[in-house]
Amino acid sequence: MTTQTQTPAYVVTTQTKASQITAVAACALLAALVLLPFVAGRGLIQDLFFVLTMLVLAQFWNLLAGYGGMVSIGQQAFVGMGAYAMFGGVILAGIDPIPAILLGGVAALIVAIPTAFFAFRLQGPYFAIGTWVIAEVMRLIMAQTQSLGGGTGTSLPRAATREMWATEWIAELFDVRNSAARDILTYWLALALAAASIAAIYALLRSKPGLALSAVRDNPEAAKSVGVDAGRMKWVVFLSSAFGTGLAGALIYVQKARISPDAAFSVTDWTAYVLFIVIIGGIGTIEGPIIGVIIFFLLQSLLADFGSWYLFTLGIIGILVMLIAPRGLWGLITDKTGIQLFPVRRRLSGGTQDTSDT
Amino acid sequence: MITRRNLLKTSGAAGLTLAAGGLAAPAIAQGARIKVGYVSPQSGPLAAFSEADQFILDAFAGSDAGANFEVIVKDSQSNSNRAADVASELIIDDGVDLMLVASTPETTNPVATTCEAEEVPCISTVAPWQPYFIGQQGNPGDPGSWERFYYSYHFFWGLEDVISVFTSMWNQLSTNKQVGGLFPNDGDGNAWGDPNVGFPPVLADQGFGLTDPGPYQNLTDDYSAQINAFRSNNVEIVTGVPIPPDFTTFWTQAKQQGFTPKAASIGKAILFPQAVEALGDTGHNLSSEVWWSPSHPFTSSVTGQSAADVAAGFTAATGRQWTQPIGFVHALFEMAANVMGRVSDSGDPDAVAEAIAATQLDSLVGRIAFDGAGLPPFAAANVAKTPLVGGQWRLRDGGGYDLVIVDNSDQPDIPTGGVMEEITA
Repeated sequence: MTTQTQTPAYVVTTQTKASQITAVAACALLAALVLLPFVAGRGLIQDLFFVLTMLVLAQFWNLLAGYGGMVSIGQQAFVGMGAYAMFGGVILAGIDPIPAILLGGVAALIVAIPTAFFAFRLQGPYFAIGTWVIAEVMRLIMAQTQSLGGGTGTSLPRAATREMWATEWIAELFDVRNSAARDILTYWLALALAAASIAAIYALLRSKPGLALSAVRDNPEAAKSVGVDAGRMKWVVFLSSAFGTGLAGALIYVQKARISPDAAFSVTDWTAYVLFIVIIGGIGTIEGPIIGVIIFFLLQSLLADFGSWYLFTLGIIGILVMLIAPRGLWGLITDKTGIQLFPVRRRLSGGTQDTSDT
Repeated sequence: MITRRNLLKTSGAAGLTLAAGGLAAPAIAQGARIKVGYVSPQSGPLAAFSEADQFILDAFAGSDAGANFEVIVKDSQSNSNRAADVASELIIDDGVDLMLVASTPETTNPVATTCEAEEVPCISTVAPWQPYFIGQQGNPGDPGSWERFYYSYHFFWGLEDVISVFTSMWNQLSTNKQVGGLFPNDGDGNAWGDPNVGFPPVLADQGFGLTDPGPYQNLTDDYSAQINAFRSNNVEIVTGVPIPPDFTTFWTQAKQQGFTPKAASIGKAILFPQAVEALGDTGHNLSSEVWWSPSHPFTSSVTGQSAADVAAGFTAATGRQWTQPIGFVHALFEMAANVMGRVSDSGDPDAVAEAIAATQLDSLVGRIAFDGAGLPPFAAANVAKTPLVGGQWRLRDGGGYDLVIVDNSDQPDIPTGGVMEEITA
């Protein structure tokens, strides 16, 4: 919105016409999605749960890699720690699974602190490999934790899943069985988490620290020279990404109700797929992961029954997109149309005409 | 709205499924009324377990009982996340009346857990009952907290059987009774090496010494630590439950380092002829548990064929040697036919679960009944035990291996084909 005042002042804006329409459409879509369980079947609700949780993982990886310049391939560390903390809270401490999800986020945040200490000493590819190694170490540690099933894994106790907060109320409201009520509850939580993540990341990027972040990503030395505290920005991004990923991990495993170290710390499920989503959608944009997750879901629905051929196909598509459209599908769209749904670039507007020719 | 099933249907119509034909396409046997879901590891490291699936599904679809069933097959890709996902697809999208699942705790447990939560009857097999039952408990370490299942039922043998078979094979040889254990940190390995329910207490009772270098991670590529520990304790017998590639690595390194035990009785890794052939000539006289063979004196309740007929049919149809899962996967479908034959409404999960619990079936793998025979009280309701014997792989003239039954002390009805022989360097 360009605000014109009497005095010819310059105004810095980030909003565009498209972004205003997006804001309205996003609110309408959100309302529709909240009400969806009233009309949709369980299959659709479960599919959307998958899409929404993958979207959260993708947004946080994108924040880390696309905005923070930290290409991590150890996100499964935070998914796994979040999930295991949730299981620990439920099985060992007797907490209800829903509040235990928060425990998952906090646990991921806590393990992210020592992780960052080690990983921040590494740059580029070394950072990527370092994060992967740390994730493997965490997998091995959890595989030795016999009270949570060790390498065998464990299931959420039947009583805990059946008597989860609000499931009874949902079961009555929708007149469905307990297991369907659980799906609706986890779907709502996933929707809330996805909406909150996108809103929070967008708010961060539009704030002053967000500007600092872009500066650090583009050139850490130059950013430091103009007074940006590069180290601090990396910490903020790494820790918030760990927290969000941990919450998503805990939520995913509340829905799955069964955990094992190989599943919870799976590099394919929680990092490779997430990378694929962000890369084909468009890294460094908020729209990219949204488009990417839709394409990923469609591909998985079509091809997942074909086993290894499915993974081949994903790999080939990923490589082709990187070669032909390095900025992803959303990059292609913006190049063609100039549309930005979540603009973060600051544009100068207002002022008087005569400044144009100096 | 585009949903996963609409897409699948459209793509199926478009012939995409056909195009990928023999690869790993979902097999859908079109039948009439009762919907049965079947999950097994058809691709990935556990794929050997599912080698005979298509043969058995075709035979079942062609039988009189099979005509009443629509079997929807899903691949777990040897991944437990995926197994849980396909189980919930089968329940929610396809609305199956009964779930069948086979092969290793990594497949059976996530599927059974999902079925239990969704209140859909589930029959599983090809996983020893301890990792199946105890592995699905919230706290495996606390027997007081263990609960029975209401919709999940399992038939197979247990660790007590494999321990008894292995020790009785070893007692046929003259050894110093020093045993080395290879127990990985996974569902099977933790159960076998468990100090309460696994090998250690029984071996101690029977006067065997156990060297257990501790659980290792699957796909380890250096076993020097284990081999050195076995050597320094003068181990003459090796046992364990590694996955196939790991045993190949271990055995090759043991040979290279000059370590040859008199007996190597290995679960899971050398069940299949291909796995033994991968060892070249060094697989001669390796021993393993035998849960099914063509010489088992049982017949199918669905086709009336004997074990030998079914195995011969498999070899004729595929040109490959018989494998043990043939009998059990076949029995899984015998269970489906038998259980559904005893309920009036196949869509009533409680009636179906009740019918499973009341099963008294003489199947291709022996008698299946959930009467708690040979089981501790906590598992009695959900588990039925089938017979177990021991066998050795013998190098055949002109290449290849044959599995010969060498110990039947627990199951005298199953004939032996020879006696236990020592491994020679």
